[in-house]
Amino acid sequence: MWGDWYQLWEIVSAPDNVPIVALLFLVPFYTWYAFRQAFETDRLIEQLEKDPQLAKTHHRKTHAWQPGWPREVHTWPYLMRVEFLAAIIVTVILTVWSITLNAPLEEPANPNLTMNPAKAPWYFLGLQEMLVYFDPWIAGVLMPTLIIIGLMVIPYIDENPLGNGYYTYKQRRFAIWTFLIGFIGLWVIMIVIGTFIRGPGWMWFWPTQTWDHNRLVFEVNRNLHEWWIFKHIVPQNIWAWTVFGAIVVGLYFAGAAYLIHRICMATEFSRKIYRRMSLLQIVTMQILLILMLALPIKMLLRLVFRIKYVWVTPWFNV
Amino acid sequence: MPAQPAQDPITSKSLSFHLLLWSFLLILSLAWALYDEMYGLRPWRSYQKRFIEAYSSYLQREIPKQQQAEQSIRSSPEYQKLEAQWKAAEAAVAPRLSEIDGEINRINRRLGVLTPVFQEARGRVAALVYQLEIARADDRQSRLREVEQAKQQTYSLSLPGLKGDEVEPVQLSYTDLELEFNRLKDRKAALVAERAAVLAEADALRRQLESYFSEKLAGLTGQQLQGLLRAVNNLDVRIRQIHNESAGLVDRCQSCHIGMDLSLVPPNLTLTKAELNLEGNPDAPFSSHPNIELLRLHDPDRDPAKALERIGCSPCHGGNGRATSSVVKGHGRHKYWLWPLYYRENFEAGCQMCHAQDMVLDHAPVLNRGKELYRERGCVGCHRFEGFDNEAEQLLSARQRIRQLEQQKREYEQEIARLQRRADDPATPLEVARQLNERAASLPVVMSQLDAEIEQLQQRTVSLMREEKKVGPSLKEVRVKLKKEWIPYWLANTHEFRPDTKMPQFRLEEGEIQAISAFIWQMGLPGPLEKQPRGDPARGKQLFETRGCLGCHSIGEGANKIGGDFAANLSRIGEKANYDYLVRWIYNPRQRTRPYDPIAKKDLGPGDYAKHGKPFVFDLKNSRSPDGKHELVVMLPTVMPSLRLTWQEARDIASYLITLRRSDANYPPAPYLDDPNLRERGRELVKFYGCAGCHEIATLEEEGRIGTELTNEGSKPVDRLDFALLTHNAKRGILPDGSPSPRGKWYDHKGFFEQKLANPAIFDQGKYKPDPRDRLRMPKPNLTPADINALTTFLLGSVDPQVPNDLLYRPEGARKDIQDGWWIITKYNCMGCHQIRVGQRSALQDLPQYQGPNADKLPPPLFGAGARLNPRWLARFLENPALSETDIHRNGVRNYLEIRMPTFYLSDNEIRKLVRFFEALSAQERPFIPPVIQPLTEAERTMARDLFTHPAAPCLRCHATGDPAHDRNATAPNFLLAGERLRPPWTQRWLLDPARMIPGTAMPSGLFRREGERWIFAGPLPASLRNYRGDHAELLVRYMFLMTPAEQRLLISRSPRATGASTGGNE
Amino acid sequence: MTEENGRKEGPSAGVGLLESVREKTKQATQTILQKAKEDLQTLKEPEKTQLWRSIFRVKHDDTPRNRALSVLTNVFFHLHPAKVNRDAVRYSFTWGMGGITFYLFIVLTFTGILLMFYYHPTKVQAFRDILYLEHDVPFGKLLRNMHRWAAHLMILAVWLHMFRVFMTGSYKRPREFNWCVGVVLMVLTMLLSFTGYLLPDDQLGFWAVTVGTNMARATPLLGHEGPFGPQLGMTPYNDVRFALLGGSIVDANALLRAYIWHCIAIPVLAAIFMGVHFWRVRKDGGISGPAPVMLESEIKEEKGPRPVIMRPAGTKEWEKTK
Repeated sequence: MWGDWYQLWEIVSAPDNVPIVALLFLVPFYTWYAFRQAFETDRLIEQLEKDPQLAKTHHRKTHAWQPGWPREVHTWPYLMRVEFLAAIIVTVILTVWSITLNAPLEEPANPNLTMNPAKAPWYFLGLQEMLVYFDPWIAGVLMPTLIIIGLMVIPYIDENPLGNGYYTYKQRRFAIWTFLIGFIGLWVIMIVIGTFIRGPGWMWFWPTQTWDHNRLVFEVNRNLHEWWIFKHIVPQNIWAWTVFGAIVVGLYFAGAAYLIHRICMATEFSRKIYRRMSLLQIVTMQILLILMLALPIKMLLRLVFRIKYVWVTPWFNV
Repeated sequence: MPAQPAQDPITSKSLSFHLLLWSFLLILSLAWALYDEMYGLRPWRSYQKRFIEAYSSYLQREIPKQQQAEQSIRSSPEYQKLEAQWKAAEAAVAPRLSEIDGEINRINRRLGVLTPVFQEARGRVAALVYQLEIARADDRQSRLREVEQAKQQTYSLSLPGLKGDEVEPVQLSYTDLELEFNRLKDRKAALVAERAAVLAEADALRRQLESYFSEKLAGLTGQQLQGLLRAVNNLDVRIRQIHNESAGLVDRCQSCHIGMDLSLVPPNLTLTKAELNLEGNPDAPFSSHPNIELLRLHDPDRDPAKALERIGCSPCHGGNGRATSSVVKGHGRHKYWLWPLYYRENFEAGCQMCHAQDMVLDHAPVLNRGKELYRERGCVGCHRFEGFDNEAEQLLSARQRIRQLEQQKREYEQEIARLQRRADDPATPLEVARQLNERAASLPVVMSQLDAEIEQLQQRTVSLMREEKKVGPSLKEVRVKLKKEWIPYWLANTHEFRPDTKMPQFRLEEGEIQAISAFIWQMGLPGPLEKQPRGDPARGKQLFETRGCLGCHSIGEGANKIGGDFAANLSRIGEKANYDYLVRWIYNPRQRTRPYDPIAKKDLGPGDYAKHGKPFVFDLKNSRSPDGKHELVVMLPTVMPSLRLTWQEARDIASYLITLRRSDANYPPAPYLDDPNLRERGRELVKFYGCAGCHEIATLEEEGRIGTELTNEGSKPVDRLDFALLTHNAKRGILPDGSPSPRGKWYDHKGFFEQKLANPAIFDQGKYKPDPRDRLRMPKPNLTPADINALTTFLLGSVDPQVPNDLLYRPEGARKDIQDGWWIITKYNCMGCHQIRVGQRSALQDLPQYQGPNADKLPPPLFGAGARLNPRWLARFLENPALSETDIHRNGVRNYLEIRMPTFYLSDNEIRKLVRFFEALSAQERPFIPPVIQPLTEAERTMARDLFTHPAAPCLRCHATGDPAHDRNATAPNFLLAGERLRPPWTQRWLLDPARMIPGTAMPSGLFRREGERWIFAGPLPASLRNYRGDHAELLVRYMFLMTPAEQRLLISRSPRATGASTGGNE
Repeated sequence: MTEENGRKEGPSAGVGLLESVREKTKQATQTILQKAKEDLQTLKEPEKTQLWRSIFRVKHDDTPRNRALSVLTNVFFHLHPAKVNRDAVRYSFTWGMGGITFYLFIVLTFTGILLMFYYHPTKVQAFRDILYLEHDVPFGKLLRNMHRWAAHLMILAVWLHMFRVFMTGSYKRPREFNWCVGVVLMVLTMLLSFTGYLLPDDQLGFWAVTVGTNMARATPLLGHEGPFGPQLGMTPYNDVRFALLGGSIVDANALLRAYIWHCIAIPVLAAIFMGVHFWRVRKDGGISGPAPVMLESEIKEEKGPRPVIMRPAGTKEWEKTK
């Protein structure tokens, strides 16, 4: 059933979904806000690079400054008042929000009555969505661990000394792109999908499509070795599949690694940074990026080609 | 570089405005939060304020009325008279009273002076005595002396005299003080007592006056109302809650429904919207509880307030008792609340949770109807429900238990053998051997006890096999019973043929109908069925209308339909039935064509009997299988009883019924019924549609129920109810027909049940099901909206209890017997002919032929039957109402009634339950021990005869005697029965005032009048009784209970011929 | 004086005594009035009083020194330096998300403590307590709502804070470690919210937590459904999920554990990490910017051998660019 605005409203107006609706506006806004300042800085950088003389004298900030103005101002009152204002504003928002919207409370917990769809808290919906594409041990355990580790090692593998303490795009293209893909592409979007798109039976419902509990969808998910020409090539026994899968994954690693390598070697600047990196740094970055890249690729395989597993082994499936 | 640098944007810019603005907003939001807390979330405040207004204005209107009423009472002559008497009495004793009071005063004055001195002295003495007691031996003497001195010491005081105001100065020792003190006390006590005695009469009169006043005045007095008014006017607006700690119950309902607060609106004051001038106001929850009696019932002390305190509101009505933030929340009509408030039309559902075991409940007609329907319409045939028609299950468990016991016995036998072996073993020491032998000897006793239990269980199984009934007729009889071509027509047009039939309309394709009817027809038994000569339809009609058929059966279509709804409407029976079978059926509906062997699982024919060289005879007396091993089913599983008609009567009635047909009735021939190829498909379909749930069908006797169990349907999660494609419309309040639902969303149990019952197929709407067997199987019952509501109520209430077990109604003893009894009473539709519950009408009562004086021709009401009848006799009567093995075509007791108490072939178990039921209903002790009847002296006998035949009360004018000539016009039972049938205490009460026990009875009341401690005959006393000191009624009872045929004959000779003309009646 | 008189001449004594008494009272009243005046004076300028000084320690007339002191001498404010980068007070750079997160944490602690007064982490009581909060407790509904929404808001704030820090490259030397602390804090924040989800013991929380913890089943090696888990003898009764829930299903124990994690363990951890976080912000040279831009041409090629893990200290671009 299409054009079911009532349904859409039901989803959007669910009190627990308010943060995600907010997310929809906040993230784009701040992305834009950051980039506006970044481009501003970039213009300044160009200007300074053209004119070394200016570079010596200029105070090197986008914000106006005149000699005689203090470089630093007193925390009291100039910072305090801002913080104070922020606190008040947050309080007001919070109070009004709390008066108008009630925290959800459903039936008493009942293990015999399964909720459909049973959804994790919204901030974990990204992981739950990953469950569609990977086995739990990857989506639920491996991925989160990798995300945390990945975030933590960023400072230690980002060898680019530029763009430290100011918004810039020109000087950190690679880093920014990677992060945006990760944060917005693979985290925020997944959450939005998990909230607005995934209905009963974790099925795919477009907005304004009724969440029909009786809906049935025909989906055959094959493993890679049963698909296309592979089913003729790969012998039908588990070990063969194991080997085949290993080969495919291996190939993917090699290919992805090469691709990332190419990207790093793209421009003069990036080559320069790349050269500065130690072996360990390069390896870590490669592995993390390869795994990160694996997610969208697996999504593609699953959603478009209906591939379930790429690598089937007696112990685990990927 | 400019000398004067421009203003620094950061340091120079001020945020004051923003700070101010947002601080202001902050204050606003906090204010809002405060308001929300005080009023937004506390709607009950405004409700209570409105209630105060409405209620106090109501009271102000009431008070003057009441005061007027009081005034009028006070000015009434009776009141005046009483008052005068009271005043007079008081005046009479006034002088003595004043004397007494005077003396008491003087005593008090004297005591006033005496007491302190006395107490001081006593204190001193007591202290010294203590010293004495603890003194060392050598010291004792001196101590003793001190005490003595203290006692001797004199005190000088001036006591007021007892005569007048004079004062006498006196010197008193401690001893004297004590004496005087006690003397005064005693005197005072005496005076007070006397005072009371003197006033006694006056007080009695005053009380009389007061009671007269309160009797005359309906409702509350002006003062009480004033009190209420005061209470309401300074009512503090607060949450009002019922809190039952143990039950974990918190009900705030009264915070808005404040009229329910019994401290504000006392039980004897009922508030309605009308009285509060709030008619038609949908938002005025102020009326008091409409049924205080109901609350009373739920408290052992019949105190409504206590009942409320214990049970609260939500356990019965549903809703969220804790919620106070909004009406929706409070009524629990929001998502996620599992126990929403029952809608007005369903509120009786609340009873079911605790009263699931009751078949009949006072104050719950709708629920009762629901349960009745669930059973009569055969819902129970497909849907199991705890407690309904569970004979089959009981049978199973009983048989299993028997097997266990048998097994145990075998084990004991082995045990005995083992013990003896060990005992005989020379190695066993003597002492041990002795013990072993003892044990071995004791085991057989235990086994014999097991035998007793087994024997009981077997009795039980026999009973159960007899109790097991089916809602529909046995289809084994179709061949001998029905017109062949009628069957497919019936399956196709069930409700056209008989709109109010129990049989639901199945959704069947033509092919299916053919297959099913073919299967049924071919499974039917061939006979034997003897030919019956025609009878006289006219007489048949007359019998049909007078023998009592109409207690269960209705006749006539549409508007001119009369009779009971319990059984089939016979208006078109002539179109379907076979005359010969009809005759046999009417003669004895339980008559099987062939007995069914539950072990061999087949119907036994003459052949099977021949094998064991037995004649093909089976009935309740010959109910063993030919091989004599086990019991057979020898009766059809129908509740229809035998009216013990003669064959001729049966033929007449049948001949009449056979004429009941539409002139244009004709059905297309159905040759395919004999097509053997259809049979197997038919069997499949019959199984699939669960026909065997309601019908006995050859080879399918053991079929189980095909539907879901409904015992806890009410608390099944709503997501589990299959709304199918209607889910979304249900959630948006659109009914299946596309119209908006009057109560908005119907995605709940109520909505589901109502739609399902109205048309089960509805939930297939929009589904693609080419194969009919994929469709929902449930057939369409032809229910009126009222019936649908009744069933919905029943199902809504069928939840697994949320309240603690001590609230559930799981009675024992007498109450349990009543509970059990109702199941049987309703099973056999006793209330079609009898009145059992006060205020209930039997189906017969409404028939034209029993109006006016003809009411005497009705069967007796059974009020107080338990107190009236000797249980042993009652059991015998229920087992055989003819009270005779030979002369069976008659009523055992009321031979004079045309209507006949039928034979139900009740099982021992059922009879036992019924007897206990009637005894429990009239609170009789069990077992019944008949009181000893003092034999009559010769003198007493003559006196009794005189009374009996007294022209003012000629008992035998109405009461039967067994002499046909006399009984022709008798309208009351035979006295010979009394001895074994009645209970003397009841009989005596009956003689004194029958009309009170059974309103409208023909037995004359006021035959006796009270004289001191005894009752004496009200009419002119016969000479013989003039100087009899005993109680006349008691005398008559004894005489009655000692009645002999000889004695009776003598009476007849002395009394006028029976002429039941004006009279007639019950006892 | 008068006493002596009194001793000498008897008759006049009474008079003298009277006068002296009048004299003394006059003096007394004067002194009392005098003192009252003085006290009233101090009320006009309270900052002069001892009470005031004991609390605020410094005078607050508007001098640069006092401005600095007012921050440095205040236990709450001295997280901040006395002076900050002039452009750092602009909203545009920091978005204030860090501060807001901290503020929300305080709000949550406050509301959380109040909620704890009314909540029992037991199977039957928990749900009733929520109803109780909703319908009975004064401001209970508001309290609960605030707690929940503040939690959601906090998660948003944390993410945006991280987003900002990345976009301004503020994780770079010397703030690498503080970034890691930040990541830990983010994880803790989400865990806080997650553990709180179960506490009302309603369907929503129950199934959210069930779904969440079911993933733990599949932990490699440690879960009974994870790779090599069974091989290592993992069953539903000894695997990591069991450890999380204190049982094989989400039940009373799980409720209690969630409660303790939510109310004690994680908050304490978070508080500690926060302390470190703020302290490091100061020690790593205050907030990163807006820093003067650095040009590609100014990148120093470092000399000498480069140890695999990290370059030796002393070559810090951020110092040189100052």
